[in-house]
Amino acid sequence: MKWITKDEPGSIKLMMGNEAIARGAIEAGVQLTACYPGTPSSEIGEVLGEVAKDLNQYFEWSTNETVAFEVAAGASLAGARALTAMKNAGFNLVMDNFMTLTYGGVKGGFVVVVADDPGAHYSSNEQDTRIEAVAAELLIFEPQDQNQARLMTKEAFDISEKLELPVFLRSVTRLSHASGNVEFGKISQKRNTIGFNKHWKIPYRWDVYGPPGPQSKREWLHSRLPMMAEYVENSEFNKLTICDSKIGIVTVGIAATYVKEALAELNLVDKIHLLDLGIVNPLPKAKVAELLNNSDHLIVVEEGDPVVENAVRLLAKELKPEIIIQGKLFDNRVFPTEGEMDPDNVRIGISNALNLVINKDLKREELKAAIKKIITTRSSTLCPGCPHLGSYWAMRKILEKYEGNSIVNGDIGCYEQGGYGLATNTFEITDEDNKNFKINSPYEILDTIYVMGSGIGMAQGQYQVGHKGKILAVAGDSTFFHTCLPTLANAVYNEADITFVVFDNTWTCMTGHQPNPVTGIKGNGDVATIISIEKVSEALGIHSVSVADAYDIEGAKKVLKAGLDYNGPAVVILRRECALQVLRRKEFPPFEFEILQDKCIGCKACVELGCPAITFANGKADIDRALCVDCSLCAQVCPVDAIICRSV
Amino acid sequence: MKFNLIICGVGGQGSILSSKIIADAAIKKGYEVRVGETFGAAMRGGSVSSHVKIGDIHSPLVAHNSADVILSMEPLESLRVSVDYLAPQGIVISDIRPWYPVDTNAGGAPYPSNDEIIAELKKLGKEVHFLDAAALAKKAGHPRTTNIVLIGALAALGKLPIESKYLIEAIKERVPQKTIDVNIKAFELGFDSIKKS
Ligand SMILES: Cc1ncc(C[n+]2csc(CCOP(=O)(O)OP(=O)(O)O)c2C)c(N)n1
Repeated sequence: MKWITKDEPGSIKLMMGNEAIARGAIEAGVQLTACYPGTPSSEIGEVLGEVAKDLNQYFEWSTNETVAFEVAAGASLAGARALTAMKNAGFNLVMDNFMTLTYGGVKGGFVVVVADDPGAHYSSNEQDTRIEAVAAELLIFEPQDQNQARLMTKEAFDISEKLELPVFLRSVTRLSHASGNVEFGKISQKRNTIGFNKHWKIPYRWDVYGPPGPQSKREWLHSRLPMMAEYVENSEFNKLTICDSKIGIVTVGIAATYVKEALAELNLVDKIHLLDLGIVNPLPKAKVAELLNNSDHLIVVEEGDPVVENAVRLLAKELKPEIIIQGKLFDNRVFPTEGEMDPDNVRIGISNALNLVINKDLKREELKAAIKKIITTRSSTLCPGCPHLGSYWAMRKILEKYEGNSIVNGDIGCYEQGGYGLATNTFEITDEDNKNFKINSPYEILDTIYVMGSGIGMAQGQYQVGHKGKILAVAGDSTFFHTCLPTLANAVYNEADITFVVFDNTWTCMTGHQPNPVTGIKGNGDVATIISIEKVSEALGIHSVSVADAYDIEGAKKVLKAGLDYNGPAVVILRRECALQVLRRKEFPPFEFEILQDKCIGCKACVELGCPAITFANGKADIDRALCVDCSLCAQVCPVDAIICRSV
Repeated sequence: MKFNLIICGVGGQGSILSSKIIADAAIKKGYEVRVGETFGAAMRGGSVSSHVKIGDIHSPLVAHNSADVILSMEPLESLRVSVDYLAPQGIVISDIRPWYPVDTNAGGAPYPSNDEIIAELKKLGKEVHFLDAAALAKKAGHPRTTNIVLIGALAALGKLPIESKYLIEAIKERVPQKTIDVNIKAFELGFDSIKKS
């Protein structure tokens, strides 16, 4: 039995926020979980996948977030307790039904967990998804620590069933990926009955078009709002402390932890009012009114966009328009409008709002600035032996042979590092309409990167308006099934002459190696059918489909050329399992590579491959044996055969 | 009581495991603890750090200029983190082996020597201990125990509010069963290297 499934109420464990959310779901007796991985949310699915069989629950990694949401919603309509978890970006895919499912509500408790990523550590943007959940008029929980994450997840199932509505739980990187003390609660053995009733409590319950139509269903949704309002007023997750003061702080979620530390540091504990919220929406109006009554100055501290601040301001406008409110909005703001909250900017913001003196050691600041100059950047790289290194080398070399300004549209996955750039690179910025740049690193090859599945669509637009030069798009195997299928059909239907290169490394690597439709394993560990990317492409009407081993540079160049020369949409699959996964299985090849120092001419071809196992000093390249996985790529690119293979 | 520790290194070196071991030990002793991870995806090679806070704390992040100890698996990473986070009274412990970034290997960016790094660290904090943790790890029986050698060194400083018995208990629970002896040996070698110096 896995440690996380132990029914030992009271025992205290160090748990990551995501583990705590999973534990909350286990304690609530979740019956189905469907997720698509995305940092910082993935461990929720990883934990529930690992324990699914032991606990007789269903878990799947779905092909994307929309699918995961629909699977979980369907389970809830059939009575089950269901959960879906995703990252901020994934939530955008879910919006269509997220805005609609609420009209008829749900039956089994349905919890939608979204992990935002302020600071964009692992994301294309800093989106605050609470805004969408407010628009959907749902209850939003936002835990401030790991134990509260467990409690709230468990509670979310209960209240979802009482309200007959989905409940939204918002996490952030600093909760999901931080760890803290979590106290195990009791694991519920109760399971909801599975069944289906077309007219459950309301006519045509699960059919928004069922008479009298969507508007009446929205009326039903609005009839639930008073229940929600009453719940948030009495919930223990919202705590108001009134002191002898005219100043108050409203805070929520992880920001509350920075506030509590700042108040301690500034000697303000129990000297100003504190409204410590665990629920973002709806606002507990009576509690806020009491706070307004007792204050003439409020500070609102939250992680992300000013969601709670907006709601507080709206209510203040009604109840006490003369009050001063400071947060992230308007010119009197005291907190930054981009990036994460942290102990420093929260303490400084509160100090500024209260006109407290901030002691700054200027000499130390000068010293730090001087030291920072000698701290070399550590750009992130692909791993030693990453198959993408071979694919990018082949792609760069073959593209040099074509006239015109080629465009390589990137996508999201480990291969997105093809657009991370090198901090040491220099280039000229101009306003010319068309300009060709020489690319000499795998980290400079991608020209566009936005979101999952966007590359292959943008490529088609570039082609359809007549760009002169080869147009490519890349995507990984997980991304292929996530959002590329309709776009690939579009390329065939609308005849776009683009080359779509699929980097198939068997796993969804960037998010921590989850299985997907090409892996042969399901989310609960069972064997799965492998879906062939080449057969899918052919079935969609692609006539030029070719495959090569990403560790075979000449072979990869050949198939890339075939794709680029084909007149019409072509699919090129460069395939090789992720080197980290092979390493983890301890499958070591019976040979080793070595750079003969007397033969090395210092041309840096192997360095340009971009592999972190290649070092360069005193005019010679060498291999760091601690990192090398003996993939052979550097030996293939060496022009003087200075890299040799020995059996071991 | 409040104790702020940051463990840093390069992705793949094992600094995340170190932070979990110390946090487990803190919980065993009955403390409240938070561990905040900074960066570090599945990929290797980037800068990674974990903030470990013990005692009367709430948030998972250490404030600037307030780390009591910085424990680093790599020299330049110790400086990268210290420059923002080390308290003027703080202590730095680091392994001596540099891991050159692609910016140096491929881009030719200069990389400071250990002597330069130590000199700058001394301006930022109170004490600096650079040790050949990797060599001690090898001596203990496995190069991958470098992180445990450093935990041993940390314990020997006497600043951590957690006794060695809790750390050893936590190590035993976190490392693979077969490697417990090697890891305990690594802890002891790290401990002695500070005690004797
Ligand atoms: C909409 C959305 N969902 C999830 C993610 C998180 N994510 C980043 S990369 C990636 C997939 C990577 O898998 P794959 O395409 O196979 O490329 P690999 O990393 O294996 O090279 C995912 C799911 C995201 N960025 N956007």
